[in-house]
Amino acid sequence: MNKKEYLKDKRLYLLIGITIYLVILLILLAFKVNIEATLAITFTYFVGLITILIVDYIRKKTFYNNFKCKLDSLDQKYLIVEMLQDAHFLEGRILTDALYEIDKSMIEKINEYKMQVKDFKEYVELWIHEVKLPVASLTLMVHNQKGDQSKKLLSQLTRLDNYLEQILYYVRSENAEKDYLITKVNLSKVISNVALKNKDILLAKGIDFVVSDVDIEVLTDSKWLEFIINQIVDNSIKYSKEQNAYIKIVAKDENKVIRLIIYDNGKGISKSDLPRVFDKTFTGTNGRGESAKSTGMGLYLCRELCNKLGHKIQIISEEGKYTKITILFDKNTFFHIDKE
Amino acid sequence: MTKIKIIEDDLSIANELKEILENAGYLAEVTEDFSTILDQIRKEQPDLILLDINLPKINGEILLQQIRKESNIPVIMVTSKNTEVDEVLSMSYGADDYITKPYNPTILLLRIGAVLKRSERSTDKIIYHNLEVIPQKGIINQENKEIILTKNEMIIFLYLLQHQGKIVTRDELMTDLWNNDEYINDNALTVNISRLRSKLKEIGYEEAIETRKGQGYILHE
Repeated sequence: MNKKEYLKDKRLYLLIGITIYLVILLILLAFKVNIEATLAITFTYFVGLITILIVDYIRKKTFYNNFKCKLDSLDQKYLIVEMLQDAHFLEGRILTDALYEIDKSMIEKINEYKMQVKDFKEYVELWIHEVKLPVASLTLMVHNQKGDQSKKLLSQLTRLDNYLEQILYYVRSENAEKDYLITKVNLSKVISNVALKNKDILLAKGIDFVVSDVDIEVLTDSKWLEFIINQIVDNSIKYSKEQNAYIKIVAKDENKVIRLIIYDNGKGISKSDLPRVFDKTFTGTNGRGESAKSTGMGLYLCRELCNKLGHKIQIISEEGKYTKITILFDKNTFFHIDKE
Repeated sequence: MTKIKIIEDDLSIANELKEILENAGYLAEVTEDFSTILDQIRKEQPDLILLDINLPKINGEILLQQIRKESNIPVIMVTSKNTEVDEVLSMSYGADDYITKPYNPTILLLRIGAVLKRSERSTDKIIYHNLEVIPQKGIINQENKEIILTKNEMIIFLYLLQHQGKIVTRDELMTDLWNNDEYINDNALTVNISRLRSKLKEIGYEEAIETRKGQGYILHE
């Protein structure tokens, strides 16, 4: 707020003030008041008028400038209510009270939605655990009634389970506070679980699974890491080439970090797709092909979960040649707080 | 005969599980009444318990604590709750293993076998006719002869030894190998078996491992 704006805003009051002065002047002239008295009255009148304007201007200027300045510097604009100073004039008080009421009702509304989302997530999680029971039951039934179709049925059940895991970890990645536990985990154990999960399809497709030097301990949540590696291996299987395909997993213990490298000699990813593979629901040219439909969630979830766990994930690829994904585990003492 | 108690409220799963365990040569018992589980366990004295976490009336983790207060029966937790917290909690309460649903039945059987073996603690040596198999050293002794097996050959031979007189499928052998972190392919399995055979031939067991076409292998008793 500056003087010019203020005067422009008050031009109606100024007009009324001047009109009243002119009326007073006419009355003074009509009563033939002498010139000294007229000048004194004129002087007093204008001093009064200007003083009122100046006092009003200063009060409003301090309040509104303070308001604007704080609003501009705030990241979350709705927090302005907490920062306001008391207004010493009516309009200011009306404004602060109104803002307070608006904020309160907005927070109530947000909480309502938060609760809804939370309820929904809890239901989804519960539901997934329920659905896993018939999946487990079906797996056992297929095993008990071995026939020509067994392998096909099992591979479809595995697919079903994979999709269930994806949504489970999607829900978990959104509210992760309570769901993970960082402990010392041996990489070979996690990789062994992933290998067993994918054994049948790897053997059926003739993909060699080569693992070396993974007897290393890292700080992570073993379930989450298993999910992440499973997603990566699942992609490697989906986009493998027809002949002599292999997946190599190797871990390297370096100075400050441990690298887990998952390398495959599959179809690779084109240069234009590569920067976006970690984006949510992004399906590159591979994922849209007829051989394998992609949901665009796998790698997105990998990165999300890695971020939450404090790992870094990197991808390098050359179309038609290879894909190499590296997960970096910090050896930082950051996670050792519990021991101190 | 080894007795396994199945504590699982999903009846369909429990019954399929019973069938699998009985086919594998165990005696399986399905729990129907969940309010008197502890008494049942005391009475039946099973050799191993498969325990679900989500049970009616009682939580599996709490039940596990109660079981541990009075006995050291091997317990494998079998659950659809696959969080690290649940696993760590279960293991700290004294579970011997933790498996999440849905699981591969062959792997479940391997884990059961491993847990039972651990509780017996007597598998330094296995005797097969006049052979002495020592898994830790990877050797077979015959009087004054000694034969060295590779890790893969030993895994295969041990599996066959544990299932003497029964048909063992290639898939079972493969699962056992992969379970022991040996991620070999079909060709390598064939090669390993023929090497194992020629080593057994050296000590006069030429016909010990028989191939059943389309089914698998069988080690004669």
